[in-house]
Amino acid sequence: MALLELDGLTRRYGGIVAVDQVSMRVEAGEVRAVIGPNGAGKTTLFHLISGVVKPSEGQVRFADAPLAGLTAHQVCQRGVSRTFQLTALFPEMTARENARLAAQARQKRSWQPYGGGNIFAVAQRLGDAALEQIGLGHVANRPAGLLSHGDQRLLEVAMALAQQPRLLLLDEPTQGLSVEETAQAVETLARLLVDTKMTVLLVEHDMEVVFRLAHKITVLHRGAVIADGAPEAVRGDPEVQRAYLGGLE
Amino acid sequence: MRPFLAMAAILALMPFGLPPYAMTLLTEALILGLTAMSLDLMVGYTRLISFGHAASYGLGAYTSGWLLLHTDFPVLFVVPLAALFAGVVAIGVAWVCTLATGVSFSMLTLAFAQLLYAVAFKWTSVTGGSDGLAGIPRRAGPFGMTILSTKSGFYYFVLACLLGAFLFCRSLVNSPFGAVLRGIRENEAKTLSLGYNIRAYKIAVVALSYGLGGLAGALYAPFAGFANTELLFWLFSGQVLIMVIVGGSGTLVGPVLGAAFFMLAEHWLSSYTEAWALFFGLIFIGFVLFAPEGIFGVFSTRLIRRARPVG
Repeated sequence: MALLELDGLTRRYGGIVAVDQVSMRVEAGEVRAVIGPNGAGKTTLFHLISGVVKPSEGQVRFADAPLAGLTAHQVCQRGVSRTFQLTALFPEMTARENARLAAQARQKRSWQPYGGGNIFAVAQRLGDAALEQIGLGHVANRPAGLLSHGDQRLLEVAMALAQQPRLLLLDEPTQGLSVEETAQAVETLARLLVDTKMTVLLVEHDMEVVFRLAHKITVLHRGAVIADGAPEAVRGDPEVQRAYLGGLE
Repeated sequence: MRPFLAMAAILALMPFGLPPYAMTLLTEALILGLTAMSLDLMVGYTRLISFGHAASYGLGAYTSGWLLLHTDFPVLFVVPLAALFAGVVAIGVAWVCTLATGVSFSMLTLAFAQLLYAVAFKWTSVTGGSDGLAGIPRRAGPFGMTILSTKSGFYYFVLACLLGAFLFCRSLVNSPFGAVLRGIRENEAKTLSLGYNIRAYKIAVVALSYGLGGLAGALYAPFAGFANTELLFWLFSGQVLIMVIVGGSGTLVGPVLGAAFFMLAEHWLSSYTEAWALFFGLIFIGFVLFAPEGIFGVFSTRLIRRARPVG
């Protein structure tokens, strides 16, 4: 059974169709990349899945239950964690505190208005484990705002991991990184995805990153799916090549 | 904990050394300190800037004044009851205000305070209109306990409320709940996407903040013996915000110092000039420009520097 199912998902903004009748299935354990030229609707698709934006039509099913009507924080509580295209962190908190706050969201009584030593301890353990996993242990006590851009991107992934999600949405994890930083980040992510067997939906511009990480690729063009399948098949697809060349129009 | 106990002990000894007039000033300073501290929960810890905190204060003052004038309840019961009422009303207010964020949120808090101000002016049968409520008694009891109707007895009541509120707030901001507030302060959208229902958190913190502001107002009415529309006026909201900023937001203790500083400055400056507000305004600007961390921040960084010599 598919972990994530999109069925005829559509989002219009006035006369513009940002996401047009997108249907797809992501199996548990799969790493799926969503690619497409600028403005293809990739980020809107993420917003639709994570509940930030409501669909105009169609629906999202996660773990056999529709997500319709759930707000962003409720979708997250179901086990969908995401990172943002533009780095979103708590800059004045240390990396450890960032990861702890992420993990706290999944604890029972995460809202407890007094004490909380236990809740903090459990959350910190999960947070620290995620930081180690992604190789940020050595900067754990630095304020997030002072980390290098590459480490900030990884910290965001670590925060998502600390939540032990069932589905991880990565929005351009290598956005704005230098060539070396990208190579490092990709190796870290690749190792991580093999280790954890996590289900991932990945939006990415960099084709090398996509081919290194993804098991399957979905190509969006002007909001609609134009190809879907294994990386080699998608790479050879004439329509995909036309869309990418035409994307510069 | 040690500086807290020392401070509590010093304040508890004050009635033995200070003349009655100074005790009156000090009591009022503690009440204002409680008001400023309650606002700090929103401003300093959640970055929810309220331009209408007078609403909580006035609501508490009018409620406690009305109850003391029209019922037989003793002060000891009326004060927490009025605070609770302010907190419950705040849930509704916060529900509306948190539909907006940023400046719009602040404007809505202001609008609500001005609404209450207008109500207090027009609803003469309950609020006394422009005269306000006068002759509010510090009713003794229960069980013939008269200590709260004396001046120094009431001072201890105020002090106990302030210290209790401080311990409550400190526990709150250090709890898991407080960690989420800090997240909202630093990055609201990210906190939401981590799975926190930030609107519920905001409503809760506004209700707690208004409840404690209401507690301060509920103490003020029997302290001063009156409640009038000035307690609900936007000018007071602004002054409380200034106390928080001058004292040091996000520190709980700072706003209490800020309130005391504000009162002292008002007394001292107004004995020289009627335009005292002008000069206080200059002091405020000075703080914002040169010491944005406030009185408490300046003190604590100095102390830390002395404890750990640099170089």
